[in-house]
This record gives sequence, C-alpha cells and structure tokens, in this order.
Amino acid sequence: MRLDEIATTIRSKNAGPCLLTLDLMFPSREGFEFVRARLSDLQLQVSERYAKPLEQVRVFAYEPALAIKITMPRDVVSGDLGDRDVYGAQQHAALLDVAL
Amino acid sequence: MSAALRLAEAFARGARRPLRILGASGQLGYGVPSPALEAGLERKPDMIGCDMGSIDIGPTYLGSGTMATTRAGAKRDLRKVLRAARSLDIPLVIGSAGSAGAAPHLGETLEIVREIAREDGLSFKLASIAADIPREAVKQAIRARKVLPMDTMPALREEEVDAASHLVAQMGLEALRRGLESGADVVVAGRACDTAIFAALPAILGFPLGLATHMAKIVECASICCVPGGRDSILATLDDEGFELESMNPVRAATPHSVAAHGLYEQADPFEIREPGGRVDLGQVRYEAIDARRTRVSGARFEPATAIRVKLEGARLVGQRSVLLCATTDPRFIERHETIFAGLKELVGSLACEEAPEDYSLFFRLYGVNGGHDWKMPAPAPREAFILAECIAPTAERAEEVVRTTKQCLLHYGFEGRLSTAGNLAFPFTPPEVAIGPAFRFNVFHLMEADDMERLFPVTVEAL
Repeated sequence: MRLDEIATTIRSKNAGPCLLTLDLMFPSREGFEFVRARLSDLQLQVSERYAKPLEQVRVFAYEPALAIKITMPRDVVSGDLGDRDVYGAQQHAALLDVAL
Repeated sequence: MSAALRLAEAFARGARRPLRILGASGQLGYGVPSPALEAGLERKPDMIGCDMGSIDIGPTYLGSGTMATTRAGAKRDLRKVLRAARSLDIPLVIGSAGSAGAAPHLGETLEIVREIAREDGLSFKLASIAADIPREAVKQAIRARKVLPMDTMPALREEEVDAASHLVAQMGLEALRRGLESGADVVVAGRACDTAIFAALPAILGFPLGLATHMAKIVECASICCVPGGRDSILATLDDEGFELESMNPVRAATPHSVAAHGLYEQADPFEIREPGGRVDLGQVRYEAIDARRTRVSGARFEPATAIRVKLEGARLVGQRSVLLCATTDPRFIERHETIFAGLKELVGSLACEEAPEDYSLFFRLYGVNGGHDWKMPAPAPREAFILAECIAPTAERAEEVVRTTKQCLLHYGFEGRLSTAGNLAFPFTPPEVAIGPAFRFNVFHLMEADDMERLFPVTVEAL
C-alpha cells in the first residue's frame, strides 16, 4: 500500500531551524495501525529517500491523533547557503509513493 | 488599576472562576478576520493574546532587524486588537514583536502602538519587554559551560556571539507575568515563547501550569487547530481541570482529532512542550468532544526543571545576494545540467577571479528537477525547467559582477550534444539579474542556563 493511498494528510515543516518534521494522518484507526505495524520499514525507506543515516530518522506513533510523525535533521539549517526550502513545507513529496 | 491586577485581586479573595482567553492571531500583521474577532469580543474574554513572530521565517529578519510583514499590515492588525482590548478594558499581550523580537522589531512595534494610541485617542499603560541578550552575558555563560547547542548546531564560540547582528532569547511566561504585574494594560514583548503570551495571566491567577501551557500552545495559532483550519480568533476557557476550545468562526470545528493533530504541528516531539522553566508532559492528555464544534482537553502535566534554560537565537551577515532568473526548454540541457553547472562554475571562476580571490558562493537550483527538494529517486525529465542562479559575495557589486558573468557564460555555454547554438536560456525579462540585498544565516540557536530573568528581560512601563 502506498502512503498516499492510506493517509489523508502527508505534510512537512521545520521543527525549529535545524529539524524537518513530517506528519502522516489517517482517516481511520485501520490505516494508522497498518503503518504503526510497519514503522521500522517506514524508517528505513525514509532514511534512503532523504539520504539520512537510519539513527537520525526518528519515527513516532501518536495515537491521540491517529498520526505518525517522522523527524530528521534538515540538509542545511533553515535559510543557510544553498537551502532549497526555508520553511520546509515542501519536503513531503518524497513520501507520497512509499509503499509499505 | 489594570484588568489583570483586578482579576488577581478577585482571585485572591476567593472569587475563582474559569478564565476566557481569546487567541486573536498567530501572525499579527497578515490579517485578523473581523467577524471572528468581534464574535470573540461578544463572549467577554478576560484577555486577548497575539503572536507576532517566529524563527520559522528564516534568518534574514532577525539578522537585518526588519519585519516580515509590511508596516501598514502590522499597523492595521495592531489597531484592530488594541481597539478590541481597550473597548473591553482587558489585557492585550503581544509576543515576538515585529517578526523576530529584537530591539529594532520591538522598537518599530512600540512606535506603531504609540501612533495608534495618539491617532485614536486611546489612553493606557504600556509595558514593553526587551529580549536582546548582552553579548558579555552569553560569553560568560560559554566559559562557565552553561551554553548547549540545539539539535544539529555546533557548540557556540565567542566569535559567533560577536558576529551575530542581533542576539535574542525567547523569554518565558515569567517575563510576561512581570509585564502584566507592572499594572500595564498592554504588554508588548520582544522574542518570546508563543506559550508565554497566553500562559502568563493564568499563571498569575494560579491555574495549573501544564494545562495553561498546553492551552497556550494551541491558541497561539488561532483556529489552525480546527477543521477546516484557519486564521480566525479562537476562544479557550480554562479551569483547574482542563480547557475548552471553540473557534469564533462557526464554519470551523475544534474536534478531538483536529486538536490532537495540532499537537504535531512544527513540533519535533508530539509528547512534550519544552519551556524555559520545565517541560509539559502530554503523554496522558485526553481530548473529548463537547459538541460538534467544541473540544475539552485535559491531562497535561508540568514538570519544573532544576535550572532555567532560555533559547538563544542569533543571525549573522554572510554577504550580499544577487540572483539570475531564467529558463531552459532544451531536453539535452536538462539531462546534462549537473555537468553544465559544474563546468560553468569553473568558467565563471576563471573569468571573475583572475585579479580577485574566489570570495563568493555560486549555487544553481533547477526548478522542475531539484529546485525545491534534493531528490534521491529517479524521475522522468520535465519538458522545461526554471534556473535560479544565486551568488553570495562580500559586496553587492561583486555579487552582481559574478551573476552577470554567469548569465552570459551560461547563455553561450557549449555542452556535449548541444544543438541550440544561438543561446541556452529563455529570459522572462531583461535584466534577468536581481540584487536581493544582505544575506544572513542562523549562527546562534542554543540553550543558555540563566537565573537572573529580570536582568535578561527587563520590563519598561510608559503611560500613553
């Protein structure tokens, strides 16, 4: 199943100038539990797609919102030389076709 | 006597009651919708709070001392909330004045507030709280090993402290509390924790800090926590066991799911909120629907820290920025763009650095290919692509020289397989080169252990 077939929100944003955080939200508990059962696979695929060492990719299941959060260091600090996305709001697209 | 002091007296006499807090705007200066603000005023709130800034907008505003909004936009919104708060005689608290909350931002915001008071015949007591941190205090803290890097930042060196053009710290609710306790009707703070704006009055009145801070974290974004999310005012009603949320726009609903989901927004960790004086544990929070549009939240617990740590923010000048705007429609160019840009950098260097050092940085972003994201997965080539070349150099003249040289070299750059020998670029207009101005980077984003908050965040009161 691709993430964009299960999730109703897939978004990214800075969490402070050094970190990027990605949120996945699901319309039902079913989708949330499906991904929650595959968090280590998700972490591995994210680490490949964003070229980050596995240990730098933190993955949380956040049950109150039926959401999964992924947090990792940004490629460069927000607004630094060569930055592509100061707010980090367009870094989600690499997640869309992740298949679990 | 100010409304905040009257409330404190009433609460001290035992007249405790739920507190109504209106979050009017998460980004003052970009527009405050009037219908929801007015609906909020009809509910007789006990205070109005507005956040005016953030670090999320990048280093330039902090570094240059300029606002991200226009002065006209800031004045329009400040007038709206000032009139609202004075019409009900309730406290108005504004945090992170002027986008980045350093001296020039706070000064400009205060100047606008005084202008409005004069023009509209408003009379009130104004407290301002500066957030600029003396460089010597930070250097002493570095020597005493009381400064720690945030996230991926390197350890802070004293030369970076000197290099920062502005250096602020996020004040916590303690400072805003002193602002309100000074007897002021309006408190305008420099760089402040967004939570402090809304949690200071509840703290004065003895509400549980965990609940007050969690409430503050949600209402500082106005109705963003609703479905559909938006910038309309939100009303929080806080008691000793929890708080209720209701958007002041009837089309927006604060549902248990939407409010819980907001806990993720721009947060690295959804289970806690970190404050200068401790952390709020959100692990046991409950979200319960009151009806289709209102949610009750409870369960946040405050854990005081053994030491107060404030977050320092600083930005330093890195040079002057010039850019080149152009496009390519050539599939061969797009396919070979990495080789082309690498070769071009060398060519420009050979021309621009014959009699000068290579004192600049030159970057290329190919929109359509990798302008917004550094893709690792292969993708089909786009039909055309936009090229943004960016130079940062010690002076505006040097940046301009490099960018104009780059433009001409790229226009006629010969690459393998090239068919279009009359020119590689489509210019939407000429000149395609634009001087942007000074460029900054965050060079301070660190935690500093500190104890003397009154010295770090001094309150100044004036009568208008």
